[in-house]
Amino acid sequence: MKFLIEIAGASVVVIAAILVLPRFLELFALINATVYISMAVLALSLALVWGFGGILCFGQAAFFGLGGYSYAVAAINFGDTTYAIPVAIAVPALMAAALGYVMFYGRISDVYMGAITLTLTLILFNFVNSTAGDQWRIGAAPLGGFNGIPSTPPLNLPGDPGNPLPPESIFAIAAISLLLCYILAKFILRARFGRVIVAIRENERRAELLGYDARAYKLGIFVIGGAMAGLSGMLFANCVFVSPTMFSLFYSGQIIIWVMVGGLGTLVGPVIGAILLNFFTTWAGTLPDINPSLILGAILMLAVLVVPRGVLPSLTTLLGRLRGAGDAPGDAA
Amino acid sequence: MTALLATEHLTMRFGGVVAVDDVDLNVADGELRCLIGPNGAGKSTLFKCLTGQIKPSAGRILWRGRDITGLESFEIARLGVGIKTQVPSLFDGLTVLESVRLALRREARERVARARAMATLEQLGIADLAQHATALLAHGQRQLVELAMVVAPAPDLIILDEPTAGMSAEETARAAHVIRALNASHAIIVVEHDMPFIRAIAKKVTVLHQGRVLMEDDVASVLADRRVQDVYLGKAADASLKVIA
Repeated sequence: MKFLIEIAGASVVVIAAILVLPRFLELFALINATVYISMAVLALSLALVWGFGGILCFGQAAFFGLGGYSYAVAAINFGDTTYAIPVAIAVPALMAAALGYVMFYGRISDVYMGAITLTLTLILFNFVNSTAGDQWRIGAAPLGGFNGIPSTPPLNLPGDPGNPLPPESIFAIAAISLLLCYILAKFILRARFGRVIVAIRENERRAELLGYDARAYKLGIFVIGGAMAGLSGMLFANCVFVSPTMFSLFYSGQIIIWVMVGGLGTLVGPVIGAILLNFFTTWAGTLPDINPSLILGAILMLAVLVVPRGVLPSLTTLLGRLRGAGDAPGDAA
Repeated sequence: MTALLATEHLTMRFGGVVAVDDVDLNVADGELRCLIGPNGAGKSTLFKCLTGQIKPSAGRILWRGRDITGLESFEIARLGVGIKTQVPSLFDGLTVLESVRLALRREARERVARARAMATLEQLGIADLAQHATALLAHGQRQLVELAMVVAPAPDLIILDEPTAGMSAEETARAAHVIRALNASHAIIVVEHDMPFIRAIAKKVTVLHQGRVLMEDDVASVLADRRVQDVYLGKAADASLKVIA
């Protein structure tokens, strides 16, 4: 019951946003909102991998960047952008499968896993950065080095490459993608696969002593997370364009902050965390004489001190307590 | 008859230290076997070898005659081996019922699995804890929850590592009673060093000393044996070693 209510609630919020926001927001703000939603999908992917799978992955930005670049390269080569979408999801998923296989089947410990995923991101960042010049092209698509691919084409209706979709439609697609990812995550966590994933997070050795192959389960959730991050990269590429900054340390670190501030071990928390923090960062960027990173840092420190479990879990506890306090006199009377 | 679980010349070396040295062990279907020895005798290492947590340096482990040396923990568990660790190893973030349900890995039907999990909890007298968070339970309750997870899938063999660690004399006696009752339907290997417990179980005992099998006999003979007494009291250990050699 709670499961259905949560999905219905999320659907209502997303549909309302699709119907209302494009009417009130200026074009620039709407594109910004689309960027925030793509970030929310990215946060959701790490919420699954880290919050439920217990895998602290510093490399979510790598899959995000790969998704964006795969989309851009495929779209330029295909002409029609429709078939670039599965490419943007499949390439990061394959990368996650290869990396995850080495890490989980090699029984690499958590600390090294963080280092390896971070290193992958930095390698990709440096590699893509150095692809300036005409010799670096995949088919018709130049990789563009430091400048990225400014000609990243936006989505079009299937079979109609001449007509790129307007920003309102891209916003709607991003919002629906976020909703679908959320519903997918809910179903995964409700299914046996997700329950075993959580059990492995709680105690990997016990899960193995019960006959579960922890390596396979962790690889599974890691690949799903990689695919989701790829989708978010594709959405991001539709609002801005792809460039090496997608692989940067700035993004790798931020994703973790969104999840932490929003609430580790929840799905909605990181989504809210990503949207709010991005909003704050953009807003802080318009302020004179202050560095937005300073504000982001202050928010993180405050969050760790005041709501160490994250905003959403703390709010839920608080509401529960208030309700409990409200009920008590009623029960007595 | 083929043994349920057997080891042949099982050896585990850590650098220059031979923790388990050429151990031959035969446990039959339905048997209750105690594996004892003083600290450092190699009990825990042998336990880790049998449960797939470490790979032996040499020798073989056989399950119903099939070589299972070097299998992963989850593969050994799937053969039908229930494993209980010394410190209760639980899913702290889950409820007791969910934990026991997960132990029923092969049962895909949710309702059947939950019913079976509840039945196991009732058997062990902790059905009232079903909805409790595992993390909040007392030590004794945690032991029972882990036992429920081990027993629920009806394994052919249960391996218990020091089940009475940290228990009072009274709790130890009760644990011995529970283990004997479990033996009616499962073969059991108990790794232990508590003598009163061994006496209460009163079955066949294998004594390990410095990685080797010192002797293997029924509990009365083992307790009466001079060498075992020496090993446990720490007297003339060298002399007893010469006897074996």
